[in-house]
Parts: sequence; C-alpha cells; structure tokens
Amino acid sequence: MALISTRALTKRYPGGVTALDGLTVEIGEGVIGLVGANGAGKSTLIKILLGLLEPTDGEATVLDLDTRTDGARIRELVGYMPEHDCLPPDVSATEFVSHMARVSGLPAGAARERTADILRHVGLYEERYRPIGGYSTGMKQRVKLAQSLVHDPRLLFLDEPTNGLDPAGRDEMLELIERIGRDFGITVVVASHLLGEIERVAGWLVAIDAGRLLRTAPLTSFTERTGQLLVETEDDADRLAERLMARGIEATAAGRTMLVDIASAGGGGFDVYDAVRDDAVALGLPIIRIEHRRHQLEDLFRDEGAA
Amino acid sequence: MTAGTEASGTIFDIGYRRYDGPRLGRGGAIGAVVQAGLRAVFGLGRSGRSKIIPWGVVILAILPAIVAVAVRVLAGEIIGDLYSYENYLWQIGGLFGIFIAAQAPELVVNDIRYRVLPLYFSRPMSRVDYVASKLAALAVGLLALTLVPVLLLFIGRVLATEDLLAAFGDEVGSLPGIIGSAVLHAVVLASIGIAISSLASRRAYAAGAVLAVFLISGVISEALSGGALNAFDDWAPFVSPLSIIDGARQWLFGGEVAQSPVGSSDVPLPFFGAAAVLLTLGSWLVLAFRYRRITV
Repeated sequence: MALISTRALTKRYPGGVTALDGLTVEIGEGVIGLVGANGAGKSTLIKILLGLLEPTDGEATVLDLDTRTDGARIRELVGYMPEHDCLPPDVSATEFVSHMARVSGLPAGAARERTADILRHVGLYEERYRPIGGYSTGMKQRVKLAQSLVHDPRLLFLDEPTNGLDPAGRDEMLELIERIGRDFGITVVVASHLLGEIERVAGWLVAIDAGRLLRTAPLTSFTERTGQLLVETEDDADRLAERLMARGIEATAAGRTMLVDIASAGGGGFDVYDAVRDDAVALGLPIIRIEHRRHQLEDLFRDEGAA
Repeated sequence: MTAGTEASGTIFDIGYRRYDGPRLGRGGAIGAVVQAGLRAVFGLGRSGRSKIIPWGVVILAILPAIVAVAVRVLAGEIIGDLYSYENYLWQIGGLFGIFIAAQAPELVVNDIRYRVLPLYFSRPMSRVDYVASKLAALAVGLLALTLVPVLLLFIGRVLATEDLLAAFGDEVGSLPGIIGSAVLHAVVLASIGIAISSLASRRAYAAGAVLAVFLISGVISEALSGGALNAFDDWAPFVSPLSIIDGARQWLFGGEVAQSPVGSSDVPLPFFGAAAVLLTLGSWLVLAFRYRRITV
C-alpha cells in the first residue's frame, strides 16, 4: 500500500523558482531514501506532504489523507525532523521532548512516559536533565530525532539527519534510522544529498532532480550489475582498447582504466575475458584488475546530467 | 532492558513500545501550549530566579488590597477608601509594564530565535493557534494582577461588615465591572506585550522595548497632560496604552479616576474604546505579519 502518493505535484515559489515540477511518485513502507542535490526539491516535497505548503498544482496524499484539507490530521500521525537547528538552549531534553509530545496531542502522562522511552532509544541518559544548550551536536541531533518520534508516528520525515555530525556521529545516526525502520516498524523517509549514506540505510530510493522524478526503485536495482567490464591496467589502456576495437569489441579507455561492452564480444559474455587477456599479453601490458562493473548511485545523476 | 546489549554501547535494546492511547489533536496541542505558557509566565518549573519578578509583582499588586481591607476592618469607615474598584488598576498600573516586560518575551522570543516554530507547525496546530495560545497564556496570567487584587478588595469589603448578606447585595453590582475591566486590561495589555516581544531578536531587547512603550509613554502622557497651557490635555491620554485602556474602562463600566489624564481630556469616552480596539487589532496585525514571515 502506498503511504505517500503524489500526482503531477508542482510548486512554484513567487519569484519564479520552480521547486517541484510535475512530480508523480508512490512511496510504500520501509526506509526510503529521498535523494537529490541541494535544491532538487526534497525539502519542498516534505513540507507539502506535511500540509505546511500549498502545492501550486497537482495533489498529494499521505496515509490516504489529502495534504490540502487534512493537514492537521496528517501532522498528528507523522514526525518531522528539520534540517536546521531547532532546539531552545535553556530547557532540558526531557522537558522539551515531553512538551513536544503534548503538542502532538498526547495526554500529559503518556507524554512523560514516552519521552523517557524515546530518549533512551536515541541514546540520551543522564544528560537529558541538563539544558540542551550544553549538548554536543550529536546529542542535539538525537534530541531532534526524539521529538519527531515521541508521539509514535506512522511515518517519519528526516531532512538531512546527519548534517553537521562527525563520522562516528553519522554512523550512530544511520544505525538509529535503520533500527527505526526495522525494529520500530515506522516508515522513514530520509532526505539527503549524500548518496553514500542513503545507500547504507534505505531499501528503496526516490531520486529527484530539479523538482522532477529521476527514478524510483529498490536500492538493489540501482547497484545491480551493468553490461560493462572495468579493466584497470598499469599503463595507459589506449592501445589495448584499440586492439579490442579491431576485434569488433566496443571499448573506451580513459587513462589507465577501460570500459568494455560485454555484449559486443558475443559468446555469451565469456569471450570478452579471453580477448582482454590475449590482447594484454600481446601488448605486454600488466593488468591490475578486471571486474564486472556495478552501477553506482552517482551514475544516476551523472548520466542524467550528460543527457 | 536485556543484559547483552548493555555492553555494546550507545543503544539499549529495551524494545520499542507503540502508542495506542488517545490523540487529542488540535485541542490538545492548544491546551499544551497555553498550559506551558502559563507555567512560563509564573516561572513554574524554572529556577528560583525566574520566579522573583512575576511573583514579586503579583504580591505588590495584591498588597494594597490587603492593606485597604485591613484598614477597613480595624478603622471601620472612618477613613475614606484610598482604593476603589474603579481606581485600583490605575494605581497599580506601573506593575503591568514590569510584569509584561519580564514575562511576555519568555513566551515568544526563543521560539523564533532558535527556530523552534517549525516543530510546532509540523504538529496538529496552525500559526493562528500558536499565536492565540501564547496570547491566552499571557492574558490569563495577567488576571493575577488585574482581577485577583480587586476581587480581594471586593471580598474584604463584604466580610468587613456585620451584615454579610446586605453588604454582598450592596457590592455585587460592581462585579461585572470588576471582571469586565480585568479582562479588558488583560487582553489589550497581552496583545501589545506579545506583539512587541515577537519583533525582538532577544529576550532582553524585548523586555527593554516593552518597558519603553509602557513606562515612557506613561511619563510623556502625564507630562503633556496638566501642562501650563493645558493645550495637550485632550490628546495626552492617547499617548499611553494604560490611559487609553482606562478611558475604555470608564466608557464601558463608569467611574472616573482622579489621577488619570482621561479626566482632563474633553474627548468623548467612546473614542477611548475605539482606540483600545485599534490598539488590540493593530497588535494582532503585527503578529499576523510577523508569524506569516516565518518559513517552516
């Protein structure tokens, strides 16, 4: 079942900036990576889905609720962690998170209990009674996550959750996000421009660029094998590529690496290895590695950018 | 908490618990913000230092009523009353500015300064709900100054007599005026205080701005009124929010205050009512612009 669905969603800001341009996408359960460069429209999409921004055109539903008319109901059932700092320094994490739980509609007693639970889940212990102003960036990021989770949302929007964290902090945050999706059973939409991070936590990817849908697919299909062989040699690969071309095999060299089209070699894909080996021997060119190349997430944007 | 996970470091595996209880939605959200606001107004759940000003001011506001009642009990009606229901709020007017300057910024400044507002607006509450909740919190808090002391005066007057029933009958007619002017003061003052505070980037600036508006305008108003030529008498009260409110009060519930510049003005009282309404709506307009500008 689609938890989020948009149809021809368009947002133009006054001043002519088009943040979303006819975006149509369906998002199901799990940990979903919403990837795109800065300014691709990720934050705008999240704000429309929260019912905080009116789309210029098109429509969107979240949990089968219309974002235009049922915004308040949606916001009761989803959690949102903004990209920017959003914590007052003079209150403690406990006070702040339990206040936010009540603003989400939880009664006072439930707000207190769940605050204690959630702060433990995100890894805040004794320090939760101290004012937030004295926290490290990593601790603040945990408080931001906690306030988005405290009311047990069905759906969680995290906008660049690893922003400003050191490598260890990133690892811990990503681990937490994975747990939220896997153990808590909450669908998480993680917006990020860092593909390497998304790759680690998301099971499904929605890639947008300039407000348009680039691709939506399971993560595995983004990284599946391509029809290319990557050959790395000790010296320039130009002459090797020339020899392969002479055999009718498509090969392109770039410095010391060469990409070979496997299908063009015929023989069910195995002949290409022999051809590369034979020609390399004939040239006396040492080969460092040969591998069946996989798609990289970056290709997604590079290919699109070139097209 | 299971034993094995404890050693692994940052995250204890206590198992995630779902929440199936009631969700109070928009009403719950508004209630939570009003309640938290009231606690902030009186410094509850905060350090002892943050209680000094609000509670000090409340005590100072109530003290005259207690003294007046005590005098009446001890001396009977030999001495004329220093405080009446009508002039009490004018007499303690200086305290309003201090109270609002100290407490209104607590309610709104940090939410803007530290960009907490997106967290409110991504919950079942609108911008209007948020602002209205903050206004309500300060207005209700102000009733501790505008209603409680005058009610004490009322109760004292009734209890100080031999015949309670007869005294209650004599005094009860003043109740609508007491409550009405308390609410009038609270709403107009809270609107001005929150509007000014919402424009400041820090609490200290907000406090300074509120004090400036209330105290300086009062001083100017009094200086203009009763000048040698009496040239500004008519319009002097309109310089100060407190005398505008006093004029509106007098128009609605009657009872002239000797010390107020309203008395020396020949402008008809309904104009004061209109000015109070404009002042309130103007404050709300400022708030509407201020909070619309905040991007989530």
